[in-house]
Amino acid sequence: MRYADFTPYDIILLLQGLGVTLALFVGTTLIGLALGLALAVVHHYRIPGCRPVIVLVTEALKNSPVLVQLFLVFFGIPAFLHIRMTPVEAATLTISLNTAAFAFVVFRSGIESIDRDQIEAAQVFGLNRSQILRFVIAPQAAAFSVGPLIGILVNQLQVTSLISVIGVFDLTKIGNILNLRTLQPFIVWAVIGLIYYLAAKTLAHVGGCLEAALRKSVKWGGI
Amino acid sequence: MIVAENVEKRFGDVAVLKRVNLKVEPGEVVTILGASGSGKSTLIRCINGLEALSGGKITVDGHDVSTKAGLVAARRASATVFQLFNLYPHMTALGNITLAPIEVLKLPKAEAEARGRALLDKVGLGAHADAYPQQLSGGQRQRVGICRALAMQPRYLLLDEVTSALDPEMTGDVLRILAELAADGTTMVFVTHEIEFARHISNRIVFLEQGELIVDLPTAEFFAEDGGLAVPRIRQFLSKMKKD
Ligand SMILES: Nc1ncnc2c1ncn2[C@@H]1O[C@H](COP(=O)(O)OP(=O)(O)OP(=O)(O)O)[C@@H](O)[C@H]1O
Ligand SMILES: [Mg+2]
Repeated sequence: MRYADFTPYDIILLLQGLGVTLALFVGTTLIGLALGLALAVVHHYRIPGCRPVIVLVTEALKNSPVLVQLFLVFFGIPAFLHIRMTPVEAATLTISLNTAAFAFVVFRSGIESIDRDQIEAAQVFGLNRSQILRFVIAPQAAAFSVGPLIGILVNQLQVTSLISVIGVFDLTKIGNILNLRTLQPFIVWAVIGLIYYLAAKTLAHVGGCLEAALRKSVKWGGI
Repeated sequence: MIVAENVEKRFGDVAVLKRVNLKVEPGEVVTILGASGSGKSTLIRCINGLEALSGGKITVDGHDVSTKAGLVAARRASATVFQLFNLYPHMTALGNITLAPIEVLKLPKAEAEARGRALLDKVGLGAHADAYPQQLSGGQRQRVGICRALAMQPRYLLLDEVTSALDPEMTGDVLRILAELAADGTTMVFVTHEIEFARHISNRIVFLEQGELIVDLPTAEFFAEDGGLAVPRIRQFLSKMKKD
């Protein structure tokens, strides 16, 4: 048999692929945002020696192809350190770091967008660093950051399709499998593209609602 | 008491404060006069710890502001009102006022809010407790700034040109509040270009000239022909201020 028609079972395959894509996306987003935020806070406090390292690493991550990073992590690191790494581990590590690099830049500019004046006021009123971070910087930086972050995450969702190359059974990999079996590339890739599109639109919509809510609770006319 | 002894402040090679000595006793209102760039703001910023000293020593009620623990205690004793208000834009008027009392003084929220509302009432902003800074006029913002400082129940109020960003009418509102505070015996270190007002409320006037504190006199003597006015630089400064 050289090819076969679509079967109802293919829907389940697609859903499984979508599930893997979304799970990886959510996981790497959570890790990436947390790491990016941590980097921005460390950067803000000028912890000695950290700034150049953070800037160098994030610049490298932002300005090299994700596919190359993925190969480096999946093939390069195991060969270099003589360890084993599964495709899912390599994908999670790579996309998390990549998201963290972009999130770092957004959080950093969110923090830097806050007037020095207000921070000085908080200092003379006796608030300590973590109180200033929590009550003065964070709410404003969050309202500032959420829009750009949504844009980045929509893009990162598409970027996850690269992980199919190292053998993760994500949505794109399922597309590949269906394509090889049915030899109907136009239909297969149109459907796969549509699913990514719908997922991205949903994400953007949820993000937009979140942003509106945040700006309302942090009601200000500043930006 | 606030005591500055031989205070030096340099930015790079530029000496902005040179061996400045100043004492402010509880209950006094001391005005700092001086031309633009003479170091008035820098002196205030050294007292509240926003600038590190290059030399000398400042203590507030005996707490040395150059030590970590001393600075914490000194900042509890004083509160600052800023020229450009420096309010937190994401918080309401009441939120601005209660943040430090709740987080630093550890007052219960209800008590801090009651104190904040009472202060807002006192400065005529009782109806604006829930307004955000950008919904308020400059004069109203500065009155919130004053309430925010007073809510800490400070022993010393530091005020750096608190009316210079305001138009004359709003300036009047703010100055009236400061005059009341002075009459109540609030200790103030006051940087201003409002000479007549300074003359009215100050116990003492000090004059900074290119980072040197060249005159420190009781108010009446400062404006006397054989006192401050005998110093050519001060006469010049005052006549220039009158013209503006
Ligand atoms: N962070 C800084 N870095 C370098 N120079 C500074 C800094 N802050 C102040 N200066 C300089 O120190 C000098 C004194 O400044 P300061 O702001 O204390 O003056 P001022 O008396 O308050 O003037 P004004 O009446 O205009 O407010 C000025 O020459 C100013 O340029
Ligand atoms: Mg100044």
